[in-house]
Amino acid sequence: MRIVIGEDSALFREGLSRLLTENGHDVAGTAETADSLVDVVRAVDPDLTIIDVRMPPTMTDDGARAAVTLRAERPDRPILMLSQHIETRHVVELVGTGGFGYLLKDRVLRVGDFLDAMRRVVDGGSALDPTIVAALVAPTRADDPLAALSAREREVLALVAEGRSNGAIAAQLVLAERTVESHMRSIFQKLRIDDAPDTHRRVIAVLTQLRQ
Amino acid sequence: MFRPRRLVAAATILFVAVAGVRAVLAYGPASIGDTADWPVSTGLLLPSLLLGCLVAARAPASPIGPALALTALMPALVFTVEDWGSTYGTDAPWPGARVVGVISGGVWAWLFLGFVALVLLFPDGPLPGRRWRLIWAAVPVSAALVNFAVATDLANFADGRFGDPPFRLPDPLRRGLNFGAFALFFVVLLTAASSLVVRYRRGDRPTRLRLGWLTVAALSVPILLATSWLGIVLGAPADVMYGGFLITMFILVPGAITVAILRHDLFDVDRLLGTTLSWLVTTLISAAVFAAVVFAVGNFFPDRVGITTAAFVTALALLPLHHWIHRTVARLVDPDRTVALARIRDFVRRVRDGQAEPEQIESVLRDALDDPGLRVLLRRPGEQLDVPDGAIPLRTGDSLVGALTLGTTSARRLRRAREAVVEARLPIEVSRLRVELREALAEVRASRARLMEDVAAERQRLERDLHDGAQQRLIAIGMRLRSVQYQLSPGVPAYRELDEVVETLEHTVAELRRIAHGVRPSRLDDGLAVALRDLVADSTLPVDLVVPELEVAESAATTVYFTVGEAIANALKHARATRISISVGVTDQVLRAVVRDDGVGGAREGFGLRSMRDRVASAGGEFTVDSPPGAGTSITVEIPCAS
Repeated sequence: MRIVIGEDSALFREGLSRLLTENGHDVAGTAETADSLVDVVRAVDPDLTIIDVRMPPTMTDDGARAAVTLRAERPDRPILMLSQHIETRHVVELVGTGGFGYLLKDRVLRVGDFLDAMRRVVDGGSALDPTIVAALVAPTRADDPLAALSAREREVLALVAEGRSNGAIAAQLVLAERTVESHMRSIFQKLRIDDAPDTHRRVIAVLTQLRQ
Repeated sequence: MFRPRRLVAAATILFVAVAGVRAVLAYGPASIGDTADWPVSTGLLLPSLLLGCLVAARAPASPIGPALALTALMPALVFTVEDWGSTYGTDAPWPGARVVGVISGGVWAWLFLGFVALVLLFPDGPLPGRRWRLIWAAVPVSAALVNFAVATDLANFADGRFGDPPFRLPDPLRRGLNFGAFALFFVVLLTAASSLVVRYRRGDRPTRLRLGWLTVAALSVPILLATSWLGIVLGAPADVMYGGFLITMFILVPGAITVAILRHDLFDVDRLLGTTLSWLVTTLISAAVFAAVVFAVGNFFPDRVGITTAAFVTALALLPLHHWIHRTVARLVDPDRTVALARIRDFVRRVRDGQAEPEQIESVLRDALDDPGLRVLLRRPGEQLDVPDGAIPLRTGDSLVGALTLGTTSARRLRRAREAVVEARLPIEVSRLRVELREALAEVRASRARLMEDVAAERQRLERDLHDGAQQRLIAIGMRLRSVQYQLSPGVPAYRELDEVVETLEHTVAELRRIAHGVRPSRLDDGLAVALRDLVADSTLPVDLVVPELEVAESAATTVYFTVGEAIANALKHARATRISISVGVTDQVLRAVVRDDGVGGAREGFGLRSMRDRVASAGGEFTVDSPPGAGTSITVEIPCAS
């Protein structure tokens, strides 16, 4: 697939493009600043855009804002955000949409998982880092519907939010797939969400709920 | 133009001339009266004249100087007329002695002229209005009428010294004239007295104080006059009764008036007068006590015992008596000073009792000394204080601690302010020390806050460096290792080894992230609310967290974040709580966080609480713990934050 990388650290940028090229992808363009990234993406129109949250000029959340800009221009453009640590403030509005991923940078070292996540995003799915999902599914108030979930249900929900299928979840938690399905029903009931057969739509429903 | 000094000078010259004439009458061929008459009467009048001169010198614009001189001059003139008339029938009669003698029968009515003028002018000139101008004409007219009525009355010719009266009025007319003249005379006197009431009603505080003096003196005149007449009627020697009246009128009244006029400028005279008076009265009362005891005890015991007892009793009574009299006299003679010092003493007492702040000393001094421009300057630590000209320096030992500047300066005010400063030394010193302490504390707080901001900035930089520097490099190295790995075939041992190396690298990155988080939680980049939500997500207890999105300073946010974290840890570790509630918000520019649990309570001040307290204090905030045994623990953090 054709990929554009927005990343200010040359070391990381070169390492990543080399890794991606070696795995059969085409790094069609790179950008060091948020502004130039938007221009490059417009010009190249890649299949996937990988963006570092923290970029020049201000080194705060310029990457996230560039992502928002790009999404505004093309709502289904697949975007994979990377960052050194969890920053949810500016990506949270993109989290519930399809074709979006948000991972910590060190996930890149698990090359296979990383390539999977890229594939899911390009297919319109979701790829969220477990730590980010944990931050999203943690109950913050007594009346938070998340507080009603059991520990196991929360675990399942986190995996759903990461974009895993029922089968993948069952394998990860060493459960029967039917057990995972019954957990899912219970979760949707407690969160008052209509169940959906399609994994992607399911994730989106969950994340939309969590975002509020 | 009104020239009080010239009038006083003219009156003085006239007085001297008239005194000369009387001296000739007394010691010349006519030899009128006793040899003591001239010195006694002149001596009686002299105080009024001298006081008039004193007032004219001290208060040149005041009409009271001439009025006082007039009170001396009029009697001198009256006495001269009387003495002149007395030469009739002697060996050396003066020209016109018979006529003058007849007139002198009622000439005493003119004695009051000076006094009435004084009452009408006191303390600052004639009263406005037509009615009050009319009385200036009525005074001489009524005196002349009385003089005429008395001089032409049959009684004046009863002893036949002056032969037959010049004319005889029919009895009813004579009685009518007598009654009318005296009635008018009294009405004029009463009206003059009533002007004091009018002035008192309209007057301000100094005017009222001055009038108080005059009123007492003025009231004594008609009373004494009536008393002397009554005494004469009852058969007392006329000279004695008349003498008492004269002494009152010519010494006490002018004295009181002079004090009233000059009081505000002659402070030392007040004190002198007060001290003299109080000792005089003390001496008199002591003597009376002594005499009374000697008399009372002497009837029963030998002389020596009586005298010893008397001395003992007197000595015992003397000091408290003197204190009491001194205070009373001081209050009477110099009420302003007494009131001012009493106010300051009262203030000092209230400061000592904690009812007043020592910093109020300036307003108290302004009030007490009646000087709105007064200022208390205090030397600030590390600064030099320039004492302005005319200011009163305040010292503790050898060091200059401040200065008192007056809005209006006069010798008297300076003297009084010096006395006040001595009384107010304690609150002045205390407020100086408190200013010093406050400034030192403020400086310490400010420098601590600066330090904390620096620390916070430093932590932020360190966290960035860890994330963007070391962490990023490690991941880049990891990626290169992966690239190298994929060039190998999966079967070779190096392939497996590289897998392990990359895994170690991942752990190292995670470790670095944890370290960076301890330095400064990077979630604070998303705001305090997000960071706190993240924090409580790790809690094994249910946490109710109420926190809106807040924009607060880095150091305040970090402090609240870490303190709340420690509070949660404490609740988990020690409190055996089942639930924690946290609320964070900003009200009135104070960031306030409350962490409450339902545990066993009774938290004791230990290392945990102290480190939280220190952390909060270093951010310029306050930390309070409420932890009654059995009723949970509530920890409140309040940090000022200017938004």
